Formats: sequence, structure tokens, C-alpha cells
Amino acid sequence: MNALQRFELFTLNDGEKAIEVVEDTKIPNAATIVVAKQDHTLANMIRGYLLKNPKVLFAGYKAPHPLDPHFILKIQTDGTSTPLEVLQETCNALIALVGKIDAKFREQFQQKELEIGLEEPFGAPGAGRLPRGEYAEPRRANAMDYLDF
Amino acid sequence: MEDPAIRIRELAKDRVEFVMTGVDLSFANSFRRVIMADVATVAIDMVEIEVNTTVLVDEFLSHRIGMIPLTSTNCEEGMRYKRDCPCLGICRYCAIVYDIDVRCTEGEMNVTSDHLTMVPPDQWDHEEQDSSAAEDILSKRGKNFGVPAGPATDPDPNRRPISLVRMRKGQALKARCVARKGIAKEHAKWSPCAAVGFEYDPHNKLRHTAYWYEVDEKAEWPLSKNADEEAPPGDVFDFTSIPDRFYFDVETTGSLAPQEACLRGLAELQQKLAGLVFACRKVNEPADAPGLQMPSTMANGHTDGFDKNGWGGGAQTATWNTSRAWANTAPGGGASSAGGSWGSGNAGSPDGYGQRGGARSPAANGWGNASGGATSPSGNGWSRPDGSSGGDGADSGWGAF
Repeated sequence: MNALQRFELFTLNDGEKAIEVVEDTKIPNAATIVVAKQDHTLANMIRGYLLKNPKVLFAGYKAPHPLDPHFILKIQTDGTSTPLEVLQETCNALIALVGKIDAKFREQFQQKELEIGLEEPFGAPGAGRLPRGEYAEPRRANAMDYLDF
Repeated sequence: MEDPAIRIRELAKDRVEFVMTGVDLSFANSFRRVIMADVATVAIDMVEIEVNTTVLVDEFLSHRIGMIPLTSTNCEEGMRYKRDCPCLGICRYCAIVYDIDVRCTEGEMNVTSDHLTMVPPDQWDHEEQDSSAAEDILSKRGKNFGVPAGPATDPDPNRRPISLVRMRKGQALKARCVARKGIAKEHAKWSPCAAVGFEYDPHNKLRHTAYWYEVDEKAEWPLSKNADEEAPPGDVFDFTSIPDRFYFDVETTGSLAPQEACLRGLAELQQKLAGLVFACRKVNEPADAPGLQMPSTMANGHTDGFDKNGWGGGAQTATWNTSRAWANTAPGGGASSAGGSWGSGNAGSPDGYGQRGGARSPAANGWGNASGGATSPSGNGWSRPDGSSGGDGADSGWGAF
């Protein structure tokens, strides 16, 4: 009854800001950041890596209610940089990490596909129905498909 | 923490099993979540039933029809979300139309996903659009795009189509279905995954869980096969250890290959993070700072930004994922195989943050754009030390699947 339309869980409304930053008035170098239209997927990951940063004294998040499509992130730093800077730094580090993993994945997929001579994944063989035994075209080492760069 | 690594244990056409190391538990879990809920696929979203004299009611049937996995290879680039599409109802860029028209004349029969026939767009899409940018959306679609995953897309001769309903003589079903692009956060039918297995610490060395048992814990809780990968626990509880090996088993429904589901998941994570970084920068800098523009898709992680940077404009200006331009126009990054689109100058750096690599390049679009005016405060040199792409560097942008 009170639930939003499902798509409102991940699309910003017109003019809605992606984040809202409230600096804490009672704790030094602390801020509360409300991130709209995101959930634990982003929040927990960021929290985890914020805590690895020595500049961060406190980092925590909560998703206040399952029907509220936002989460609240609290960060306190040691004063050498602002919470927002630390957050940006962490996100950039995470983006780099994802990039690394992506490269690893591609390398491994390529290797594994060669190794086992995988038949094409779903959807790949043309319109015709090819029985398993007769599908003889081997995967060329330098074959390109849409997943390659 | 050591460098992240992936080891694929098993790869089949519809599943992949791998071990991820060198990342935090929170990251591994986010990756799991993003594969399950944020990777776009195509699924039937609207069913207009004309005749239904089967034993199942209309709602029951339309639900079943919606669940059919449709081949969605490269759906992210090959199709638009309805909300991003300038068309008034349905058009070839945001919808696929199917007909199902079955009548049982003899005995009994099964209605299956094989009876779903795709209607060519010319028969239902009469809207005139300026199609300069849109044309290449269609060309990005993978083979068999939109075809129900089943005998038509699978070389396995034993593969059966998906049953919808069983009919008897005299019964009929006639309906028109419209498939849309979507993500599983909206409805689970859009999930590329049937299941994602996720495990860490198979020996329960970290004591993150306590097993309930009747008599003998060891006998009642057999070890999983992942337990072979790790040494059994010693006598002493190591309270400093943290989880660092994660066992994934990604099983797809057939709409996407497991490779694509994983890589798209990563791209989706990157997009979420980039959206957040962008939002942070917007807070730091005055709202209308020159050069601070990004593809509107990044602001909310999904391409709903038709209003701002629209599709209709020049080719490839609008969306995050289609902008190969990033990779290609970065000076020095274009030709080399190491050219991740972000900060291609950084390929050698161990961990590209804080570096001022290629990010300030006058790229056509996106982050590099900051060089038009303000220099980015924290230097967003996102490196992607990749180089795995072999010879073909020209195309090797991030997101250029």
C-alpha cells in the first residue's frame, strides 16, 4: 500500500539529487550522506572499503526502511581530509578494483573457453539447430565476439 | 590485502563457478547482489489476451509467459528502457512483440515457448523517428536477440521448450505479448540468474555461523566441496583472520551467457560508483561549473536520462555504455591495448587512485571532460591495468562489450 512503484527504487525523480551531505555539528570531521535510489549493494561495499582507509575513524551505513529507496552513510575522518573527499577517494579506489577484476575475468574466461572448447553460449549459434556432435567449428584462438574488446 | 584474483573452476554454457580472492567480503557480496538484481535483460512485460479457453486464467498465463527467458545478448546496448524511449508506446528500439496463436484440434497438446513467434517490427512499429543514432542500437544486439531460450538457441538436441499450458481438443489461446528491457529490481523475471551460489569459509573457521545439531555436528553438516580448497582448521581459533576466499556459482536462466552476466555485473558496479563520485564532485563544485557534465545515465546508475542528453542527438553522446568514444579519443590510450577508457595512462600503477592519468584528456564525453574547465579536485585517474585484450586495442574501452 505504501510501497513505491518498483522502478522508483532505482531511478531518480526529476530534479532529485543523487546525494545530500549534512555535516555534523557536534562531531568534528563527520558527515552524514544520504544517497538516493541506492541500496545495500553500493552501501555495504563502500562502508567496507572506507574502513580500510586509515584516515577514517568511523564509517557505517543504514538503509532506514525497506520501502525507502535510499541509504544513509556516516563517515568521520581524522581531519586530514573531509568525509566527502574520503568517500570520493574510496569510490575511485573501488572503481579501479572493479576494473582489475574485470580484466582478470576476461583473461580467465578466454583461457577457460579455449581449454574446454565451450560450445557457444545460449543464443549464440545461428538460427539453425545444431546437434551437439556435429557442431565442429573450433573456436579460433583470435576469434572475436561481442564480449571481446 | 593481496591483489584481487579470479580462478574459474568450471564454465558451461549456462553456469560458471569461480573463486574470487583478494577482495573484501562486502565487495564479494555486492558483486553477487549486482549480478542478481541489476543486470538488464529482456522479458515479456505486457500480454494482451484475445482468446483464452484453456484451463488457466489469463493472469496465470500471462505470468507464465512473462517468466520465459528471452535471449538478451548485449541487451544493455541493444535496447532502450521504455522510460528512456521517446516513442509514444512501443517501437523497435524499446520493445519486441510476439504473437501466440494456438488451437488444439486433435487430442491434447502442450503450448510451449516454441509457439511464441516474434512479429517483425515493420508490422507494428509505424512511428517515424529520426533514426541516425538509433540505427546502431539494433546492430549491437547479439544473435537470436529476443528468441526464447530453448531449442532454437541451444545446440543441445535434448533441450526442450518451456511449457506454458496443456490444452485439449477445442481449446485455444491467442495473445499478443510485448517484451521490454528491465532489471530484476523491478521484477525478478528480468534477472539473468536462476541462482547465484555464494560461500566463504567452508570450514567455519571464522565462526560466522553456529551449526545446530542433534548429536554430532560433523556428521550432520557435511563439508561442501569448497572445503577442499582450504586447509582444515587448527586447534586454536585465529581471531585475526578475515574472510578472503569467495566461492561463486553463477547459474543463468539462458537469457544471458554467464560470462556476460558477470562482466555486466562489474560494469554495473562501476557505474554505480561513478555516479556517486560524480555526485560528490557536484557537491564540491558549484552546480554550473563548466565542464562538469556527464552522461545523464550516470547520475542514477541507469539510463533514464532521456531529457538531458537525449538519445536523439548525435551518435553515441548520450549513454554511458555506448560511449566508446571515451576509450578511443583519449590520447595515447587509443591505440595501445592497455587503454582502459579511464585514465589509460595509468596502466602501470598498482592501484590507480589518486593518480592523474589520462582522466583529464579532452575526451568527447564524460569524466575527461573536466579538463574543459575545472581540473578535478582529487584527480580521477581510474586506471584499468588490463592489457588482456590482445592485439585489438582500438576497441578496448571499458564498457565496450
